[in-house]
Amino acid sequence: MTDEKHRNGKPETSHHPETDPNRDDKNYYGIPPIKRAHWTWQIYVYFWIGGIGAGSHLLATIGYLLGWRDEAFFRTTKYTTLVAMVVSPVLLVWDLGRPERFLNMLRILKLRSPMSTGSWALSIFGSLSGLIATKQAAEDGLLLGDNFASRLAKLVPDRLISVLALPFGLYVGSYTGILLIATSVPMWAKNWLLMGPTFLSSAVSSGLSWTSLVLHIGRWGDGKTLGALKKAEKAMLIIESVLIAASLVRMGKWSKPLFSKKLGPLFVGGTILGGIVAPLVLLFGKGSREKSILASILVLVGGFLFRYVMVVGGRDSADDPESYFTFAKKDEKGGGRPEVSE
Amino acid sequence: MATGFLTDTTVCIGCKACEVACKQWNQLPADGYELTGDSYDNTKQLSGDTWRHVAFIENPKKKRLTGDVDLVALAEDVKEDLPNGAELDGLGRWTFMSDVCKHCVEAPCQQACPTGAIIRNEFDNVYIQPDVCNGCGYCVPACPYGVITSVPEDGRAFKCTLCYDRQIDGLEPACAKACPTNSIMFGEVEELEKLAEERVAQLHDRGYPQAFLYGTPEVGGTGGIKGNHSKFILMDVPETYNLPENPFLPQDKVAGATIACGVAAGVLGAVVAWAFLEG
Ligand code: SF4
Ligand code: SF4
Repeated sequence: MTDEKHRNGKPETSHHPETDPNRDDKNYYGIPPIKRAHWTWQIYVYFWIGGIGAGSHLLATIGYLLGWRDEAFFRTTKYTTLVAMVVSPVLLVWDLGRPERFLNMLRILKLRSPMSTGSWALSIFGSLSGLIATKQAAEDGLLLGDNFASRLAKLVPDRLISVLALPFGLYVGSYTGILLIATSVPMWAKNWLLMGPTFLSSAVSSGLSWTSLVLHIGRWGDGKTLGALKKAEKAMLIIESVLIAASLVRMGKWSKPLFSKKLGPLFVGGTILGGIVAPLVLLFGKGSREKSILASILVLVGGFLFRYVMVVGGRDSADDPESYFTFAKKDEKGGGRPEVSE
Repeated sequence: MATGFLTDTTVCIGCKACEVACKQWNQLPADGYELTGDSYDNTKQLSGDTWRHVAFIENPKKKRLTGDVDLVALAEDVKEDLPNGAELDGLGRWTFMSDVCKHCVEAPCQQACPTGAIIRNEFDNVYIQPDVCNGCGYCVPACPYGVITSVPEDGRAFKCTLCYDRQIDGLEPACAKACPTNSIMFGEVEELEKLAEERVAQLHDRGYPQAFLYGTPEVGGTGGIKGNHSKFILMDVPETYNLPENPFLPQDKVAGATIACGVAAGVLGAVVAWAFLEG
């Protein structure tokens, strides 16, 4: 046996910091002091799709309010929101441990639980967007011609409903961030102020890119719409990058998981460079249809990776005792515990 | 009336009677017979199937030796300075701690729960109604102490019920009943607080100034949690026992975060409208 093994005269019987001379941190065999969320792929896919739906609805409503007249634009945004709001609850129910009890989410409303308020907002927004899309379908002749149902659907006051649904839609786009921060996970909780706004900006940019992508691919949109979307995309990407930068500042050293070997390439390469910088370069350059399509795809992929690294990074953050203990520490030394000098 | 636990880790001998009693009474399955290779603790942590967990913390002799170590001689060298001339084995000693749900006064898990499955029962304990929980798992990352856990095989979340069923019948919780050293005490929170105060003072008098109570609004039950109904007398920094010193009530941030989102929604909407007007 070497001195190395018995550096402080003790047999190396454990990894407890007091026994192991190589460690000076205090924790219990490195076992995570908090439990991570079980959330699997359904959750970050939902964060992404729900965001696209919310962003699209914002566009449709603003289009209405500004008296926009581009049928293809409204059709795209409304059907997008509908599809997103059909898929979202499916993903969420799928992720439950007891899916058959999903309705229990609506047996009570708890304002301090973002999971509760989010479920309500999703239900309300989903129902309203269903009404709006039904009217659109009737006008598009998708309800099997001129029958009672389609005549009824055409009576839906879709503009009014769009405006009423807007706050719920915006909440669906942003509460996913609040959902993360209202936990004990250091990386999330540290960014409590900006997580929601960052998720929302990403939702709006994804909604914009999706709409622009569909209109470009189908060669449907009129020039005015495409120009407006492009302008909005540029502005939104700039805002998003500022919010992400500010979020990283607020997370401080607890943002470490985002730059790990596993997530770093996805976050830096996928979200920041691929999902924000590259599309901005494409959009600010001389415009072409192909470039716009590529930019939109990059934004959508970047938006997905953003949600992925945030969810998975939070899992890694929860698994790191050092990260949690420094987070849950009194700034003044010692706290309420009597100080003992050895 | 609020009931709770006081776990005095200074008298715990690490027998794990509480772990066994809890598993038996609550009919909890085993957690896999895994060997950690770390000390004698193969339970590792609290989980949905383990509602009491005894931590085994090695507290070795502080004296530094160099060169080859003769373990026998080391063990016979029993002169660690302890108050009142107490003697100690040369290999050091153990600190044990029987961990359990803290039954927070403002419980993060309860505030997180969207279904209202987690309630405060008539004994003011934090209790999950198993027939309501839909397994969303949101309570899990909310708990600042890593107590409540989803059980994948079942789907739902579980944790210590403070033996709700036994309390209804006027019995004390199974762990407190089984504990041979009275390290686990059960009773009314106020009485336990008095007991804890006396015990900590006694330990200080006997020359252990490091003893303190964990689970008060000053340490352990901090940051809006307003203390815990299940408290612990500890002899080392909380982190040694895998406990946070200064946790927070996560839901205190919800209102501020929601306002921030409202502001952001207004700004982002205005930006899109501007682009549409200009475009
Ligand atoms: S310790 Fe965790 S599980 Fe127990 S009441 Fe507090 S938040 Fe809930
Ligand atoms: S897993 Fe069950 S107890 Fe936990 S928050 Fe969800 S519904 Fe409530």
